[in-house]
Amino acid sequence: MNLDLSRAIRRLLAPGPALAAVPGGVVAFAGPGRDATAPPAAAARPGAAVGAEPVVRMRDISKRFGTVQANDHVSLDLWPGEIHAVLGENGAGKTTLMSILSGMYQPDAGEILVDGAPVRIDSPADALAKGIGTVYQHFTLVPNLSVIENVVLGTDTGPVLDLAAAEERLAAMLGEFGLDVSPRTEVRHLGLGTRQRVEITKVLSRGSRVLLLDEPTSVLTPPEVDGLLQILRRLRAQGVAVVLITHKLEEALAVSDRITILRGGRVVGAFGPEQLAAAGHDAVKQQVVARMFGGTPPPDVATRHGGPAGGSLLRLRHVSARGGQGRETLHDVSLDLRAGEVFGIAGVDGNGQKELGEVIAGQRPATSGQVLLRDHDITNLGVAAALEAGIGYVTDDRLQEGSVAAASVAENAVLKSIRRKPFANGFLIDRKAIDAFADRLVADYDVKTPSSSTRIGMLSGGNIQKLLLGRELALDPSVLVVNKPTNGLDLKTTRFIVQTLREQADSGKVVVLISSELEELLDISDRIGVMYAGRLTGVVDRKDATAEGIGRMMLGEAGVARGAVPA
Amino acid sequence: MNQPSRLLRLAPLLSSLLAILGAFVVGGIFLLLRGRDPLAAYDILFRRGLGTSYGITETLIRMAPLLIMSAGLLVALRAGVWNIGIDGQLLVGALTSAIAASAVVGKVPNPMMWLIAAVAGALGGLLWAVVPGVLRVRWGLNEIITTLMMNYVALNVTAWLVKGPVKDPAVVPPQTRLIPLEDRLPQIGGSGVHIGLIVGLLSALAVGFLFRRTVPGFMFDVLGRNRAAAIHAGMPVNRLTLAALLVSGAFAGLAGANDILGVKGLFQGNWNPGYGFAAFALVYLARLNSLWIIPFAYFLSFLSIGGEMMARPLNMPTAFVDILEGLMLLFFAVAVYLERRFLPAARLAGETETGAVSTEDPELNPLGDAGPTTGHGAALAGGGERP
Amino acid sequence: MNGINLADFVSAMLSAGLVAAVPLVLAALGEAVGERSGLLNLGIEGMMLSGCFFGFLAAFNTGSTVVGMLAGIAAGLLLGLLFGFLTISLGVDQVIVGIAITILGGGLTAFLFRDIFGRQNPSADVSPLAISVPLLRDIPVIGPALFEQQALFYVAYLLVPVFAFLLARTRFGLNVRAVGENPFAADASGVDVFRTRYLAIAIAGGMAGAAGAYLAVADLKLFQVGMTVGMGFIALALTMVGGWNPWRILVASVLFGMLRSLGNGLQILGIDIRTEFVTMLPYIGVMVALVLLAGKTALPSALGIPYARGRR
Repeated sequence: MNLDLSRAIRRLLAPGPALAAVPGGVVAFAGPGRDATAPPAAAARPGAAVGAEPVVRMRDISKRFGTVQANDHVSLDLWPGEIHAVLGENGAGKTTLMSILSGMYQPDAGEILVDGAPVRIDSPADALAKGIGTVYQHFTLVPNLSVIENVVLGTDTGPVLDLAAAEERLAAMLGEFGLDVSPRTEVRHLGLGTRQRVEITKVLSRGSRVLLLDEPTSVLTPPEVDGLLQILRRLRAQGVAVVLITHKLEEALAVSDRITILRGGRVVGAFGPEQLAAAGHDAVKQQVVARMFGGTPPPDVATRHGGPAGGSLLRLRHVSARGGQGRETLHDVSLDLRAGEVFGIAGVDGNGQKELGEVIAGQRPATSGQVLLRDHDITNLGVAAALEAGIGYVTDDRLQEGSVAAASVAENAVLKSIRRKPFANGFLIDRKAIDAFADRLVADYDVKTPSSSTRIGMLSGGNIQKLLLGRELALDPSVLVVNKPTNGLDLKTTRFIVQTLREQADSGKVVVLISSELEELLDISDRIGVMYAGRLTGVVDRKDATAEGIGRMMLGEAGVARGAVPA
Repeated sequence: MNQPSRLLRLAPLLSSLLAILGAFVVGGIFLLLRGRDPLAAYDILFRRGLGTSYGITETLIRMAPLLIMSAGLLVALRAGVWNIGIDGQLLVGALTSAIAASAVVGKVPNPMMWLIAAVAGALGGLLWAVVPGVLRVRWGLNEIITTLMMNYVALNVTAWLVKGPVKDPAVVPPQTRLIPLEDRLPQIGGSGVHIGLIVGLLSALAVGFLFRRTVPGFMFDVLGRNRAAAIHAGMPVNRLTLAALLVSGAFAGLAGANDILGVKGLFQGNWNPGYGFAAFALVYLARLNSLWIIPFAYFLSFLSIGGEMMARPLNMPTAFVDILEGLMLLFFAVAVYLERRFLPAARLAGETETGAVSTEDPELNPLGDAGPTTGHGAALAGGGERP
Repeated sequence: MNGINLADFVSAMLSAGLVAAVPLVLAALGEAVGERSGLLNLGIEGMMLSGCFFGFLAAFNTGSTVVGMLAGIAAGLLLGLLFGFLTISLGVDQVIVGIAITILGGGLTAFLFRDIFGRQNPSADVSPLAISVPLLRDIPVIGPALFEQQALFYVAYLLVPVFAFLLARTRFGLNVRAVGENPFAADASGVDVFRTRYLAIAIAGGMAGAAGAYLAVADLKLFQVGMTVGMGFIALALTMVGGWNPWRILVASVLFGMLRSLGNGLQILGIDIRTEFVTMLPYIGVMVALVLLAGKTALPSALGIPYARGRR
């Protein structure tokens, strides 16, 4: 079919801005390129430095990757002295849009104006030169270079480095963001929150007037998030145009002067300062949710199990382990998990959760301590034996570790069981049995794929994740460890996966759910353990758990909720 | 759209042929610059190499060791292991088989002697691969460096052995005892081509079977395409890595035995046929496909024999063939780039950590987007692997 | 063994080791820059061999050491840029391209040498500038080894601090280190990843060519087919042994230079040892050194991995 034609039809069928029904009717919907782009009324927000015209305008930007239309005629204006949230689900096209503005990609169509003049942004260096700085989700710091080397990297100050002079120039700026680290420290020794501030310092030291932040809070604890938002407000007051790219609604509502909502690569809603100021918080939220998810807000996953948990199934006794760099990143963790429960593990990335899951699954050797399954010692048996003993594991790295992109769906389906019957008959493999099994998994777990002989790398992340979960469950483990199972997935798949996990626990398994999404943990866990700096700092019963309490524990404060006694 | 078009399936083969063409064109220009007539040279090359029975016979004889070696190399490369030491493994295998053959010749029936010598050759090559294998799985040393170093060590060790400990005391030059002509490998029906060729063809078929039908073959492919995934899935990664090196070493040793039993009859000091680079080039041109290595092995053998045959009448150095081989591999690299650029489906089709696009799997899906490619950075880093 | 013999032995070993280490130092310094930028240059053997041949050819025809060295550097540099084009611009696998260039370099030099010189093995009539430092050369034992050498010897060793400064203290060095460790970050910070890597591989190729030219022009004054016998690969391994640090590369190279010349030293001591054993010592030594240092040096994270914007 002619692609332009199909796009034209889709646009005709989609409700145009003016036609969109507005539930609640409190907030008037402003279509792209209309009211929302009008200059903000300076009176609306005292103290903010607001300019007379947008510093950057993106006009009708389109970008296509293969069969995916990542951006479809997207327009966006960025005003100085404003925090502009670009909100949308995973896959809505937010990151692509920002990558275009930061010079990583070239748009297929559309134009970008900086200070009213059309420009072409050839590269990230070019974007920086035009005053557009980006803080990426995965920070762009070189771990083996020092803080100051990272800050001066890519700037042009002559052929010979003068780090002492650079330190002097940047001392004030580093202090302003509360960076009390030595500029000569190598970045790899810093925590993620500190790295983010270094990154912001680095970008602003280039004289950026526009600061793009891609999902900046995903690696932060709740108090660290507050600290970041403080910094953003300060930058706004200094006249910087701050762009907050996020899928987290509350965050966007908390600080934004302007919100643009993307869905399926198109702008489906835009709220200017007046609308945000005029309507109440709940009314705006309702509006935003409606736009983000295309109609009615998603119902909550009401699957939490109420009944009593069964007997003890998996026990950890004083387990310690080393992380990737050889340092001990898991210290003396003890746990007693009961059949039928979902045990959530909360923590900011890099606090030992991944290592804990890997030790249970035999993926990483414990340096001391014991892992007991039904009183059998399964410590350090290795992956294959742990699998045999009944421990399933779904990694958080589904692309690099969980699957072989170049192999077919069928081959990936038997990656962990290729040496077992019926797939292997001694030395020989049975392709028919493998295909039949893969077809069944594809059907049972609703994996969208042309066939089971399609290469798995061509599937979407959600479909890969469903296959990996199905692959694990087909081995009928008694303990299932899952690490960030819904990371980067759309809402529908997320709910399917969360639901499946709850059902597995209800059928008598132990599910260990490692996640940085507090909502998800609170949704289906029976108990939640919190990890900080490699230690289990507390275990909370779901009925006593609050997001605030767990957030504080994630920062290292000892268990504050009732029942927070390490098992 | 599930059924890929025929053309797309043949695209890798076509681009390999284009790489060969490119090498011939640039090689021709080079000859022209040296004041030689490239058309006349290529005319002799093809007419004598492909058109004379002598050329064909010699090509088929040369094809045997090349094919055996390539079959083994294919296993290593498909498993993501860079065995660049096949030349050294061949040398050691040739020497051990020569020692074994001269020890038992005349004492046991010839077929038994051939078998013993073949096993001795394979063991010799395997033994030589044990060193880089153990260094890799025990200390995480990158096998690229160690296999290269072992090549030079092999040259010196074999040269020393034939000068002293295993030298034929009856003659002056450093060499092992000659196996009489009548005790060498028999010809295939009086064709002038010894049965080593059959061993070569069987080697290719055996490797094909390994990858299509067996558990280790499946695991080798997973390991080669994504090492982290193999570890994650609980595969015995260290044992597989070692096995891939040993298997390719054994095949290289067998290729050495083939030359001793079929062609040379003895091992001479400083003998170094250097088939390794040709094997390397042909395995990539065949896109790591176990059946395609057969025609490409014929082609590379023809080049090397034809190159020798054309050198004399034209008074041209034989090294011209090495230039062609190097150019082919360079143009192969360009062809892979062009495929990735213009045929996105090829991108995911079996990229391995040893950098190739394999076509063993009969299906190439024409759908598709750019996927993650695996550099061999992980394989290089080697160390820190979990047992 | 008497005292005079021992002094002679140490002096001879040191002198021979320092001289034998010159091509290793040159090639390994260049390779360190290349690898730091994320390029594993297995074509180094072919580049070095080309440096030998074209350096020799130029020196043979002009009688000039300088012209010979420049020709060798140019040959290595051109092959380096070819390597760069295929691996940086086209993103093709570095090991395959490296081996192809090594095959090509071997074939090209062998063909041209035989085509031009037939069966002859002539010497180049060059007289490299020698520098003898008064007073210092009279220091017992180390004097002659350190201060009575040809000019290129001093140039090679002076390049060690130059490269150390280049990598640690200059903008280019910082860019090289960033690009090899995290090209995405370097790109986002405004570093031109492609330009940095091209410069790095040009330096690596040029230095490999210089190493070859030194060998054929200044040291032996003749060319032999395949005369580098894996020295390029050894230099590549020495950069790893030396952890990409020019000073440690210097130490490693001198130790290996001494291994290479061990045979002569042992003869002075009156010990007869099979030449094969002496010849293979450096190759075994590299493996032993790598085992001893196993796990102590971290490879640049992006080594061997092509960079394409928007893909990580």
